[in-house]
Amino acid sequence: MRKVFKLAQREYLAAVRTKGFIIALVVVPIMMSGSGLAMALLKDRMDTDDKRIAILDRSGIVAQALIQAAELRNAEVAYDQETGKQVKSRYILEAVDSTGDDIPAMRLELSDRVREGELHAFLEIGPEVLHPGEEQEHWRIAYHAPNAVLDDIRRWLGGPINNHLRSSRLRDLGVAEEAVGDLFHWISVDALGLVTLDTETGEVKDARHAGKAETLIVPIVLPMLMFMMFMMAALPQISAVMEEKTQRIAEVLLGSVGPFQFMMGKVLGGVGVSLTGVAVYVIGGILTLRWTGNEEFIPYAALPWFIAFLAFAILMFGAMFAALGSACNDAKEAQSVTFPAMFPMMIPMFLLMPILQHPLSPLATALSLIPPCTPMVMVLRIASPVGIPAWQPWVALGLLLLSTVFTIWAGGRIFRIAILMQGTPPKLANLVRWAIRG
Amino acid sequence: MNAIELRGITKTFGRTVAVDALDLAIPHGAVYGFIGPNGSGKTTTLRMIMNIIFPDRGEIRLLGAPLSSATKDRLGYLPEERGLYKNMRVRDLLKFYADLKNGKDIDAEIDYWFARLEMAGWAKMKVNELSKGMSQKVQFLATIVARPELLILDEPFSGLDPVNTEALKDAVLEIQRRGTTVLFSTHDMHMAEKLCDFIFMIHEGRKVLDGTLSAIQDRYGSDILRVRTEEGAAALTGLSKIEKINDFGNLQELRVAPGCDPQVVLREILARTKVYGFDIVKPSLEDIFVRIAGPQARPATAAGEQENA
Repeated sequence: MRKVFKLAQREYLAAVRTKGFIIALVVVPIMMSGSGLAMALLKDRMDTDDKRIAILDRSGIVAQALIQAAELRNAEVAYDQETGKQVKSRYILEAVDSTGDDIPAMRLELSDRVREGELHAFLEIGPEVLHPGEEQEHWRIAYHAPNAVLDDIRRWLGGPINNHLRSSRLRDLGVAEEAVGDLFHWISVDALGLVTLDTETGEVKDARHAGKAETLIVPIVLPMLMFMMFMMAALPQISAVMEEKTQRIAEVLLGSVGPFQFMMGKVLGGVGVSLTGVAVYVIGGILTLRWTGNEEFIPYAALPWFIAFLAFAILMFGAMFAALGSACNDAKEAQSVTFPAMFPMMIPMFLLMPILQHPLSPLATALSLIPPCTPMVMVLRIASPVGIPAWQPWVALGLLLLSTVFTIWAGGRIFRIAILMQGTPPKLANLVRWAIRG
Repeated sequence: MNAIELRGITKTFGRTVAVDALDLAIPHGAVYGFIGPNGSGKTTTLRMIMNIIFPDRGEIRLLGAPLSSATKDRLGYLPEERGLYKNMRVRDLLKFYADLKNGKDIDAEIDYWFARLEMAGWAKMKVNELSKGMSQKVQFLATIVARPELLILDEPFSGLDPVNTEALKDAVLEIQRRGTTVLFSTHDMHMAEKLCDFIFMIHEGRKVLDGTLSAIQDRYGSDILRVRTEEGAAALTGLSKIEKINDFGNLQELRVAPGCDPQVVLREILARTKVYGFDIVKPSLEDIFVRIAGPQARPATAAGEQENA
């Protein structure tokens, strides 16, 4: 056992001292939070140029109202109210003559003006927008721009245009808008959690507002972190063992330790690496959330499960990947086994969203009890706001333990044969034969 | 007590018999040379002794005990193909390997050998900064710093320059004087002649030679005639009872057929040319090797019944 720890210690130090590990630990969180921050900061500040948009109003009733709405908007949001500094683009709308017959020619002319940079975009409003008939072509509102789909202005335009149309329709009916003010009052459905009883005071506590953070981000962060640890601490075993085999370090080590000790040393080193990574992320995450006053989002109850599932998963995948690596003879073979080896990790990754939406569905339950998928799926279900039956995490942990023991046993048998075998490719049939015959 | 005892060791890979019913007893404190052509089963035998691969049949006893992983701590093993972690520093690496053997006083031993082998200043270097010869010396040190009782070296001198070869040879002898038994395989017959108390050869998985150098040479008889004549090799062609002529220019070595009287050969040569020198010598190890493993190898009758040394 002492030799196993000695090997694990070397593995661990060799891994955590690399630049890659330090970069992953420090730079990735900074990049992740940084890119969120950058997006929030830069979202509206990137561009303060005036946006000139021509309106080809074939209905003749929208353009003026829209121009006024744009001026109102410019006054309200384009400038910082306190400093008076411009923070967003102004929308400068202009109505163009729409009386001609040759609409295609007008569209082409406006398109050319956009292409020349004179305009940002042009808006065409169909002649029958007030009372849409059967021909969609006649009441269409079309926004033409080089990047129309992602353009924020297009989304903004919908509001003032429809408000104006609704007001006009009311006027046509002879109803004063003020009399039916509630007509435009849209009420959205609030998302709340369940109410709880405060055991100390006996009072019913108000349900917490269920935000995106609690229902979506927090549960999904844990399996993502787990996946990252698989990538950092288990997957590299394939190429590491392959290199030790091809550089004959393996034979030197086998002069001192048994093949099983050799493999376990590597795998335990990987567990150490993953726990170090997780410690940094979890402690960093907790401190950040507390510091920003979001302590309520820390999933304390899910963390012990997370650590337990992670440790077993790294043992299981580590042994599997070390055995695969021992069967490879060059980088190309290592590469070719890496993709299928990642499969059991990728499946839960793709299914995170559907599982989170329906954590109690048969698919979610079944996947969380299939050992290679267990760690990520079960942690996701535990962290989701929906309560899952209490027996399930324990059964999942038991199954994971059994399959970890089995994988280490089979991996050890493959490893001790394959590590000295030169030139035999890592075919599935070979691996199975080595595992069975030993 | 024998340091290594093999009894009836057999190992097959698929249909190939790599080692066939091999017996061997290596006395404690000896330097044992292990020779044999490529693919004869040397590395397989050494790996079985190291408990890295397991024999199909037979028994292995090391240092008086049956083979076990606990015995590994008392062995030093230098594999034929060298492997060092490229990103480690030399001293860390040596300590790591010695620590895996539960070695004691490792630092003192490392310092001693650094001084002895003129490796001062290497301690902090990374392995990937070393030249091939340097890393071979480091690999050798990694094998011995845990003070093994039994040292197994697979081709320790291959690829070394003469200076380093000499230094390593002296180191091996020093380790032997400390009481360590040394078994090493080599293709260098001169090194084997100079260094070994006993020589052991396998060919196609079977033992063909085992004994002291002089005992082996005696068995092959004094059948080499070293001749210097006026006309050189030209005068020697077509002599009767001569199996082979080795022409070295100024002198020729003749191997006579078994049972042939050298005096008859001498008379025959004298009838052809003037003779300046005539010696009856023992065959060199290299010569014996070629006779056993060369393309015109005699049936292994002479080598078949070797006594154990």
